[in-house]
Amino acid sequence: MSEEIIEHGEKERLIRGFGAMVLARTLDNKIMTAQRQGRVGFFTPTSGQEAAQIGLSMHLRKEDIIYQYYRDMPMMLHMGVPVDIIINQIYGNSSDIAKGRQMPSHLLARNYNFMSVPSPVATNLPLAVGTAYANRYLKKQGIVVASFGDGSSSTPDFHAAMNLAAVYNLPVIFFCENNGLAISLPTEKQTKVEIWKKAEAYGMPGILVNGSDMIDTYEKTREMVEYVREGKGPVLIEARCPRMGPHSTSDDPTKYLTDIVKEGSDRDPLVITQKRLIEMGIITEQVATKMREDSQNFITSRFDELEKVPPPSPETLFDDVYDEHTWIIDEERGDIIGRN
Amino acid sequence: MVQSLNRTLDMKMAEDSSIILLGEDIGKDGGVFRVTEGLQAKYGEERVLDTPLVELGIVGMAIGMSINGLKPIPEIQFQDFIFTAFDQIVNQMAKMRYRSGGTITVPLVLRTPYGGGIRGGLYHSQSGESYFVHTAGLKVVTPSNPYDAKGLLSSSLDSKDPVIFLEPKRLYRSGKMEVPDADIKVPLGKAKLLHEGDSVSIITYGSMVPTVMKTVTENSLDADVLDLRTLSPLDRDAIISSARKTGRVVIVHEAPRTLGMGAEISALISESSIEYLYAPILRVTGPDVPFPYRLEDLYLPNTSRILRAVNRVLEFR
Ligand SMILES: Cc1ncc(C[n+]2csc(CCOP(=O)(O)OP(=O)(O)O)c2C)c(N)n1
Repeated sequence: MSEEIIEHGEKERLIRGFGAMVLARTLDNKIMTAQRQGRVGFFTPTSGQEAAQIGLSMHLRKEDIIYQYYRDMPMMLHMGVPVDIIINQIYGNSSDIAKGRQMPSHLLARNYNFMSVPSPVATNLPLAVGTAYANRYLKKQGIVVASFGDGSSSTPDFHAAMNLAAVYNLPVIFFCENNGLAISLPTEKQTKVEIWKKAEAYGMPGILVNGSDMIDTYEKTREMVEYVREGKGPVLIEARCPRMGPHSTSDDPTKYLTDIVKEGSDRDPLVITQKRLIEMGIITEQVATKMREDSQNFITSRFDELEKVPPPSPETLFDDVYDEHTWIIDEERGDIIGRN
Repeated sequence: MVQSLNRTLDMKMAEDSSIILLGEDIGKDGGVFRVTEGLQAKYGEERVLDTPLVELGIVGMAIGMSINGLKPIPEIQFQDFIFTAFDQIVNQMAKMRYRSGGTITVPLVLRTPYGGGIRGGLYHSQSGESYFVHTAGLKVVTPSNPYDAKGLLSSSLDSKDPVIFLEPKRLYRSGKMEVPDADIKVPLGKAKLLHEGDSVSIITYGSMVPTVMKTVTENSLDADVLDLRTLSPLDRDAIISSARKTGRVVIVHEAPRTLGMGAEISALISESSIEYLYAPILRVTGPDVPFPYRLEDLYLPNTSRILRAVNRVLEFR
């Protein structure tokens, strides 16, 4: 399998994928540290899920539309979303696309086909189905990816979306990033059935992949992505990728989590993927070290630089509720910040 | 009104291939109230979707369609069944423009029949307009006659923001009137003065409009009757100018009193025009109880209750 990848001349693709993993981990650690320093309000760390996301997104194209969830920063970086877009959102500053209206982690980049993340989990899934319907109706290229956690598979939105996508035979990849937990609840208390197996009940193929290994995920998901691209219908991919940190910066996992995957340990997806790439002769130890150093320097400088960007101006509180201000909003704006 | 809505949908679909209808039993069956009759036969199953029975899916899909360039018109068979989709409406549809900094928008028109008068009991009769009016990011519209039904639907389809289009099901088959074949627009956010008078302002909308008009004509009341037509955003100027002119206001709606539209309109008038008022603002509404089956007629505001309130404000000193 692995040799086949090299034969296809995909060395560059693997290096880029791994590079994005390193960049994402560096940024993730940076944000977590900054949050503890009081520079950032909140964050849901993504560490542990990089390989799963990028293993899949290595198959994606620019025209594909992603309804991501709040831990998909690595996939966004891999798909070319500039680091600045992400950091501005984390600060919620005046350069943030969403004008500082959402908590950090609720990323968006419409120009890169990443839709906007809501807090209510799994509510993105029915939207992905509608977007896929429009894609087919309007004869647009591209498929739709909707990602979510294992806990989200218990919601009515998951059921509705899986059923509708199958009934209408739509090009949607349901991508479950199973990190083993929903805040404190382990997957086995979330559902009686392995999540990937639920696909069959809806009438679509489902697979399980090792989401701690980028190459493994990449290889195993290829057929599924092709299936969707060929218009055969939706699929469900479950990637197992244990969460390496707390649920969020507001969470203390020591209460419920004993077996945590430590950074740098042999269960860390970065370590697993790096080892395989070295074995395959695609990168060397030195290259990997250089990648980490470059990422560190780059992230630190962008993070410090963008901290200087001022917060959104007061008027923006009242913009974008509707296409045009209603009299109500104008009146309330007048009361709060004065008329202009 | 059913015929007017049906013809308007037909006309709009013929003009604009990005319009997609989706809902339960709206295709082959033409909808339980026949609003979409014949449209699937004419435009095909790809444009008129008989969906599985899942309100949150219908609304969620419509949002996703809208984001990706279509103009969906989802139907919820009865407003009473919208609540599983409420999360999609409040947290996705209403907030998308805001939370994306204006980069993602959701123009769509969600149609749903509401209100009583068909012996529908608890779950085929509710008037839930306040839930939607309370949510920033939505526009809420309700016609009271076939002409406005056409004009408001047409304008709603022009809106760049999501519109909750509430159809008073009691009026679906009443109030015959000439509706032009050509496109007409009734602007959103504009009320209509249906009757002019100097002594009292009766502010109402939707299913209560004919009842109010009957009360006024039968009793030769010297009243302004204002049909709001759009519940969000309200026509502030029309409400205030009538209230200032007469100084006596009665608000009539079928929805329960507590936090109904009457509360908002009353607050709006007292905040802006208290010095013009000769009497307290009164509300004639459905009671704060679930909607009943056998005692429906007792629940619905009627001529005598409206008249009693009008007389109270007229006689107040
Ligand atoms: C509908 C809804 N209920 C509750 C919450 C609070 N909450 C936020 S994340 C979360 C757990 C989600 O778990 P999962 O889907 O497995 O994703 P993970 O966070 O593990 O990546 C909960 C309960 C929420 N955001 N949305």
